[in-house]
Amino acid sequence: MGIGYAVLATQAGLSPLETVSMSVLVYAGAGQIIAATMLAQGASLVAIALTNFVVNLRYFIMNTCIYTQVEESNSALNIASAHLVVDESFAMFTLDKESSIWFYLGLALFAWFSWIAGAIVGVFAYDIIPLIVANSFNISLYALFVAILIPPMKEDKRIFLIVVITGIINIALQYVLGSNWSLVVSTILGAAIGMKIMGYGKKDEECGNKCISGDVVE
Amino acid sequence: MNHVLLIIVVAIVTFIPRLIPALFVGKIEFTPKVEEFLNLIPYTALAALICPGVLTVDTNYWFVGLVGAIVAAGLAWKKVHIGLIVVITVIALICLYMLIPVMHL
Repeated sequence: MGIGYAVLATQAGLSPLETVSMSVLVYAGAGQIIAATMLAQGASLVAIALTNFVVNLRYFIMNTCIYTQVEESNSALNIASAHLVVDESFAMFTLDKESSIWFYLGLALFAWFSWIAGAIVGVFAYDIIPLIVANSFNISLYALFVAILIPPMKEDKRIFLIVVITGIINIALQYVLGSNWSLVVSTILGAAIGMKIMGYGKKDEECGNKCISGDVVE
Repeated sequence: MNHVLLIIVVAIVTFIPRLIPALFVGKIEFTPKVEEFLNLIPYTALAALICPGVLTVDTNYWFVGLVGAIVAAGLAWKKVHIGLIVVITVIALICLYMLIPVMHL
């Protein structure tokens, strides 16, 4: 996916150095792809920043879980590793029995370097691959989003409903707010409506999210 | 748009939610409602990104993105590995482009 992001960012007009810098400094899979996509769509800086803030709010929860789970909590190491949380490092760490900060640092640094390496490969591959392939690469981020969304939708009808409702809200709001703002508003609105939906029909597990495995350790 | 400024701003708004728990972990208590709300954000954000953005994958032919989304959804339903889904969907679109030679790229 690091490669796919780099191709996308290059298409959006970022230079190779800018593309790789973003993987180093931002380091957020979906966030970077969203930023590149919105840039290509001509979105404003404020809209891109707001959307990224909303999309990356989950790192707040994830890091809270991680640092609650880490054995000897050390503020200096926590702050040093704060940047390294992504869906992958979070999932690998919180689902593993090992809970030392060094174990987390090891896997999180590896994931970070892999992501940066992917961006470097993507930046160079962009010049080599033919136009028809590059055009087809546009679908890769949506394929990823769909691939991530389908399993929880299949498992939980309420998630299915929330996704469909949010999609419809966003399509409707396009005409009122424009695509940039409707993305932010429908994301928040969808989650608010989703809370009502989740409330119906008591769930078996507290929440399907991996986050809970962090709380169980307490 | 200034790209350097964009990268710095996005880096900052991404880092803030990451940093706060590192500083204050143990002192923050989430109400279950807030936690549930934040748990739903990834789903709704992805839903809003796909609908209707996927139709703009090819600005000339809206159905290209729709075909890709259907292929990806079908594979995900069959529990194909995520990495494989992305690769197969990209290949499917390459095939689609080849099937329609009239298409200007």
